[in-house]
Amino acid sequence: MSTPAAPGSVVGKPPPGRLARLGRGSGWQGFFFISPALVLLGALLVYPVVWTVRLSVDKGRRQLEPHEFVGLDNFKRLLTDDRRFLDLSEFPPSGALINNLRWIVLYTALCVILGLAIAVLASRVRYESLIKAVIFVPMAISATAVAMIWLFVYSPDPDQGVLNAALQGINSGFDPISWVGREGTVNYAIIFAYVWASTGFAMVVLSAALKGISTEVIEAARTDGATDWAIFRRIQLPLLSLPIAVVTVWLIINVIKVFDIVYVMSGGGPSGASEVIANRYFIETFDGGKGGYGAAMAVIMLLMIIPIMAFNIRRFRSEAVTR
Amino acid sequence: MTRYRTFLVLLPALVVALALVAAGCGGDDEGSSKSTGTVSVFSLWGGSERDAFQKVLTGFTEKTGIKAKYEQGRDFLPILRPRIAAGNPPDVAIIPRPGVVADFARDGSLKTVEEIGLDTDALTENLSQSYLDLGTVDGDLYGIVVKANSKNTIWYKPASFKQLGVQPPEDWQGLLQIADKMRSEGKKPFAVGAQGSTNSWTLTDWFENIYLHQAGPEKYQQLFTGELPFTDPTVKTALGEMTKVISDENVPGGIQGVLGTDFVTSIGQVFGTNAKAEMHGQGGFVGGIAIGQVNTKLKPITDIDFFDFPTLNPAYKGALMGAGDQAVAFTSNDDVKALMEYLASPEAGEIWAKTGAIISPNKAVPDSAYPNELAVKEAKQLKDAETFRFDGSDLLPGTLGQSWATTLQAIIQNPDKMDQELQDFQSSAEGEFEA
Amino acid sequence: MAVVETAATPRTTLSERLVGWISRTPVHIALVVLALIWLVPSVGLLVTSFRKRPDIAASGWWEAIGDLDFTIKNYSSVLDAQNMADAFLNSLFIAVPSTILPLMIGALAAFAFSWIAFPFRDTVFLAIVALMVVPIQAALIPVLKLFRELDITDSFIGIWLAHTGFALPFAIFLLRNFFITLPRDLIEAARVDGASNLHIFSRVVLPLSVPALASFAIFQFLWVWNDLLNALIFVQNPDQRPLTVTIVNLQSAYGAEWHLLSAGSFILMLLPLLVFFSLQRFFVQGLLSGSVK
Repeated sequence: MSTPAAPGSVVGKPPPGRLARLGRGSGWQGFFFISPALVLLGALLVYPVVWTVRLSVDKGRRQLEPHEFVGLDNFKRLLTDDRRFLDLSEFPPSGALINNLRWIVLYTALCVILGLAIAVLASRVRYESLIKAVIFVPMAISATAVAMIWLFVYSPDPDQGVLNAALQGINSGFDPISWVGREGTVNYAIIFAYVWASTGFAMVVLSAALKGISTEVIEAARTDGATDWAIFRRIQLPLLSLPIAVVTVWLIINVIKVFDIVYVMSGGGPSGASEVIANRYFIETFDGGKGGYGAAMAVIMLLMIIPIMAFNIRRFRSEAVTR
Repeated sequence: MTRYRTFLVLLPALVVALALVAAGCGGDDEGSSKSTGTVSVFSLWGGSERDAFQKVLTGFTEKTGIKAKYEQGRDFLPILRPRIAAGNPPDVAIIPRPGVVADFARDGSLKTVEEIGLDTDALTENLSQSYLDLGTVDGDLYGIVVKANSKNTIWYKPASFKQLGVQPPEDWQGLLQIADKMRSEGKKPFAVGAQGSTNSWTLTDWFENIYLHQAGPEKYQQLFTGELPFTDPTVKTALGEMTKVISDENVPGGIQGVLGTDFVTSIGQVFGTNAKAEMHGQGGFVGGIAIGQVNTKLKPITDIDFFDFPTLNPAYKGALMGAGDQAVAFTSNDDVKALMEYLASPEAGEIWAKTGAIISPNKAVPDSAYPNELAVKEAKQLKDAETFRFDGSDLLPGTLGQSWATTLQAIIQNPDKMDQELQDFQSSAEGEFEA
Repeated sequence: MAVVETAATPRTTLSERLVGWISRTPVHIALVVLALIWLVPSVGLLVTSFRKRPDIAASGWWEAIGDLDFTIKNYSSVLDAQNMADAFLNSLFIAVPSTILPLMIGALAAFAFSWIAFPFRDTVFLAIVALMVVPIQAALIPVLKLFRELDITDSFIGIWLAHTGFALPFAIFLLRNFFITLPRDLIEAARVDGASNLHIFSRVVLPLSVPALASFAIFQFLWVWNDLLNALIFVQNPDQRPLTVTIVNLQSAYGAEWHLLSAGSFILMLLPLLVFFSLQRFFVQGLLSGSVK
């Protein structure tokens, strides 16, 4: 599947010259083509972001409308005085923001490592497509369904939850653990469920990249007596660094926004232990009616994503140049 | 060829145009709206409770010819708020938290009973003053209490008690002794379901009962209206008693099990076929759910019964903690008026009471309307109560009620962190009570 | 063992093949374990959805496999009493326009960004791509208020527009990156022949772009079908609720009714799984073109 230009590049331009001949009329037509998109984007993305920023410096408690300007109070409170959002008073720190960081590290690492491992392992067996399909299927499922599936697996009742039943089967003295009910385990339980659903993505991308590595190089290395592991470490892994980076960035961006799976699996509990920023936003805005406070959280989310996206775009650009 | 091209380009433009045209045509009416022959009613009941309310709505339609649509949602606040913000609220909602009603009233989202045109005399005739007070915010009456329940109950299995050779206890010490006895026989005395954010209210009920009976109605009211801090020693004492009951040895699966079990499952732990525990300390509606959903073979009084919440301080014996749901109106028109009137009437109260799902706050509903002795017992409790106090966590403003439940979840897990948890909660409470 | 010949020579002897297979055993074991972890959870819920309600509470589904004491009552109950059949249609009614609209509007714009020269073109394109950073939380309430102004909150139009708006940046990004890989000569030849941009778009570009269009369409369709948050906020009429919201409501205020939740979850998964298995190729392509070369 080779293509003449790089589809992933953001600013790759169509070749100049000939098109410029079209001059008259084409500019006008261009706007005609993009205007429906511009209208929708303006109304549904641009204007709302501006409005949300306006709301974030307001109390916003009358039917979620701005009515009382409070400056940066919401932000100050969020970052210094809201234990559920960010708690730096004791070690280890806690709060929704910390949970998102936990997700960013664990979820991303697990997806990439597992995805890569499966891509490599599967490439060695004949039933490769079957395995890949099995791992990939959960990607088609709604986070809501994933939450249900895993809530059931984690059930503290050993007559319902297969995890506790299995552990009890191995060690009959085992006390069933309430994986989603305990502060200490709930985050990992939810993260793992979502990893289960998302590893397919990493695997597919990395598997495609893996296959893109020329077999001649590998065979030559084999001839020289290199072991499989050495081949993996010295040849495949470095060549995969770009796809891995791409996958990682994509996963991180998704994780900053994660909501559905936490909402359905634990509602953020117990005691708010599993809340992520999106949950806090939901609760403060729709349970508490604090429109301004929630908007401040949305702005923080936006600020977290921007640098990562910028990094992504810059990398695409630099590639377009070096290739 | 031309037609195909044109079509391709025009289609998306057409859809966008349609949307804007719809905007132009739509009229937005903030005042009273026209009756349409249908009223929408929103609440959070599902299962057997929903079926029971449906009967009331059917009665309404038969009487007035106006159709009523029941709408349901798991988390009612995240459903109501966006709808209000979008100018699209249900006509009527039945809300279990007076704190939320107050929020919405002050928001300007609700219509007062006067605005709708209800007859306030009829209301004062049928509802006692404490119920009317509940629905009053800043001097105006917004909510009509249509459903009441007592939380002054602990449910048990008479057969188990007989086997153990004990009688329902009068006081707290008695209860603890029974629990000890049960443990010595290898049984778990209590079942509690406090999972996540949707079931944590069970802990708040336990605390409120203990606090009310130990510290008294006055302190109770002060605590939940922001006049008494949550760091007060009386709070700690009550929590100490609570952790004596909800402890690792007393419940199936220990504290972790409690936090991983939902409310209905916990009822099943006591009254289901595969019973794991003996007593259940939640409100009067447990009976309806136990018989209606968990184990339809249960016979009231013989298989399942309740005793009054035991006394801690004899001075407060007559105090009763309960809750109630209020009907409030977001829009004002003839259909809504008819529905609110109907819900406040003894007729509706009787139909509803017959289902066994509720106790009616309406004075004119006779005892005979209740389907079984358990309901009659509960109604009697409500009527005979010397002092009535509303469920504390429902009185708290904003998200404070939910926060309190979360704090309790943390406390039963780490009782030694109690002071810290209470302090943190108090500081967030102060912020809420101010706003 | 070093292979002396080129890679073209296959292993021929049985013993060599056997050795190869055995040395791969750890790989096989690892893959089987992984496959189990990936299959068991779903299978568990699937089996449960066919079990009788009291059985579910009484014993584990793994014990039930031998029993074969199954029922389809959960499904009939959830489709009928819980309105899941309606919810299914709602999901469909929401997902289809929410896929077609961004596809068409996005394709139009993407074409312009690829093959029409106009001032500020690249800047605008970059700005649109940058919009992909916006989390829905930053847009929820104002969009809701906007719908109130337009008085469309009680219809499907609201959620169609919401999904379209949120999907456009990605659609334009994806499709534009595909369109510019099309043979320049073809397009220029058409131009030389006097074809209008519209003609080039509909007669030249679109037919050649079916794989990319299909990839986006499937991706978007699944995304909308599986969405929860947008539906929670924008679908305000309970009669219009899609499957995701309906299932979450089954987690009633009192607890989890697994006999219903399991059946409901599978009804939710049915269509995506069907789409996935029949059109997997396109789905994968969509993922790849969005992120890698």
